[in-house]
Amino acid sequence: MSWNRQARLLAAALVLLGCLFLCVSRAPAQAVPYQRPVDTAPQPGAIGGGYKTPDVQKPLPRAYWLQVLDVGLLAAALGVSVWLVLKRRNRKWLVALTAGSLAYFGFYREGCICPIGSIQNVTVALTDPRYSIPMVVTATFVLPLVVALFFGRAFCGGVCALGAIQELVVLKPIRVPRRLDQALGLLKYAYLGLAILFAIRPALARDFLICRFDPFVGFFRREGAPHMLLIGGAFLAAGMFIGRPYCRYLCPYGALLSWCTRLARRGVTITPDKELDCGLCTGACPYGAIERMRAVRPNCFYCARCYAYCPRDGELARAKPSLVQLPGAPS
Amino acid sequence: MSEDLTRRALLGNVARGTVLLTLAGGAGFLIRKANGQVVWQVDAARCLNSRLGEVNVEACSLCTSACVVALSAVRAVNEYSKCGRCNVCPAYFNITSAVDEHGLPSEKLCPRDAITRKAIGKVDPEDPANNFYEYAIDEDKCDGCGKCVMKCKEPLGLGSITLRIRYDKCVNCNRCAIATACPQSALLQLPVEQAIRPPEVRRLGL
Repeated sequence: MSWNRQARLLAAALVLLGCLFLCVSRAPAQAVPYQRPVDTAPQPGAIGGGYKTPDVQKPLPRAYWLQVLDVGLLAAALGVSVWLVLKRRNRKWLVALTAGSLAYFGFYREGCICPIGSIQNVTVALTDPRYSIPMVVTATFVLPLVVALFFGRAFCGGVCALGAIQELVVLKPIRVPRRLDQALGLLKYAYLGLAILFAIRPALARDFLICRFDPFVGFFRREGAPHMLLIGGAFLAAGMFIGRPYCRYLCPYGALLSWCTRLARRGVTITPDKELDCGLCTGACPYGAIERMRAVRPNCFYCARCYAYCPRDGELARAKPSLVQLPGAPS
Repeated sequence: MSEDLTRRALLGNVARGTVLLTLAGGAGFLIRKANGQVVWQVDAARCLNSRLGEVNVEACSLCTSACVVALSAVRAVNEYSKCGRCNVCPAYFNITSAVDEHGLPSEKLCPRDAITRKAIGKVDPEDPANNFYEYAIDEDKCDGCGKCVMKCKEPLGLGSITLRIRYDKCVNCNRCAIATACPQSALLQLPVEQAIRPPEVRRLGL
């Protein structure tokens, strides 16, 4: 009896094994492990038929002379900005320079390299012995500061792409109460400190906050994380009514520039006028940088609106008399 | 009054001079330390997809998802001179798919159909298995997912496909998002001379 049961068990096991074998042999051909047919790459001689190995297309990084050209253009734009605002007191051409800078430094160079972000690279290069930056980055960082030390924030006026995109959307600026303006203005120092703190951390924990939370670089590159594009859009929308909110309240490079500007010998001046202290310039300034009819240089963005609105100076004063003649008046 | 003004002017000059000297000193220090242009590049020996020994694992596709550029700046590049030009390429075909009537796997591996296959050299139309094939990767379609790279390396292939950063696409971020995400630390910021080969460096005038 027990022998019989063992035989039956054996038979069942055999049938099972047979099924398994069938399954395996039914599986498609890839069950045979793939083996590569060659051990070395065949060269054109072995391939024959006059075959030539094509070049692998490897696009090169931006040529060095083009980077030097960027720094040259930055220096030139700074010079032109100083000349237009302080010497010519001309807003029209400054707007043209602003648009040009936005097109080149913003949309063509896609917002990189910029002095604002270079704060972090300079910080890391100064503190980390194993990190160094190319000469063009150093120049990009230092140039606007040196100009500010002598002539004020000319960089903010016609050169900075982040400033330019906000400058061109100013529509109907409201006057931010002075106390609130000053309080919010402190944010940029906190942001500068935070950015430096994050940049001096050890290499793996390091973060470049200014670049990560750059609100406009997404527009310059025509792509970006949705939340950053949204923040950028919000800044631009707010910028229609509050002049250049990023520059005034957050820009960490603006903090450095306003320190340098305090020491500047020259800058935007509103000439005292005994007969006509009309205050049109105060109303024209969207950035609250004119107090008691005098320019507050550390807050001035070199937009030259005050000159454009001045009846004694700038374009209005130089306009031909025929332009201010009333219609219908005897000529 | 006038003496006061001159004192102020003098103080201003001193302060300006101090800041200027500090800036110049800092810039001088940085310039003495400066290297040339630095660029990001994938180190094939560290990248999980091309590193030897890592087989039968899912390809890492962080290069595709982490890059700040919409279609990642990382691409698979086939170094033709190292390519085995096999009839059944494990990076072109999904070699686990069923075999069709021509004796080739029926499915392709690339999810974006970026690789093209072309018979080269002395083509024998009678016996396709005896021909050599060129596998070209379309740069506009590839998003650097690394599936083909994983299959091309030893022992299945010869390791001719690697992930490379395309400098026409890369915006050279301060802190490369892929480098931050990469668990193998395979993205390195290198002097341009190391990231690309010497003849190309010479053409750049570096």
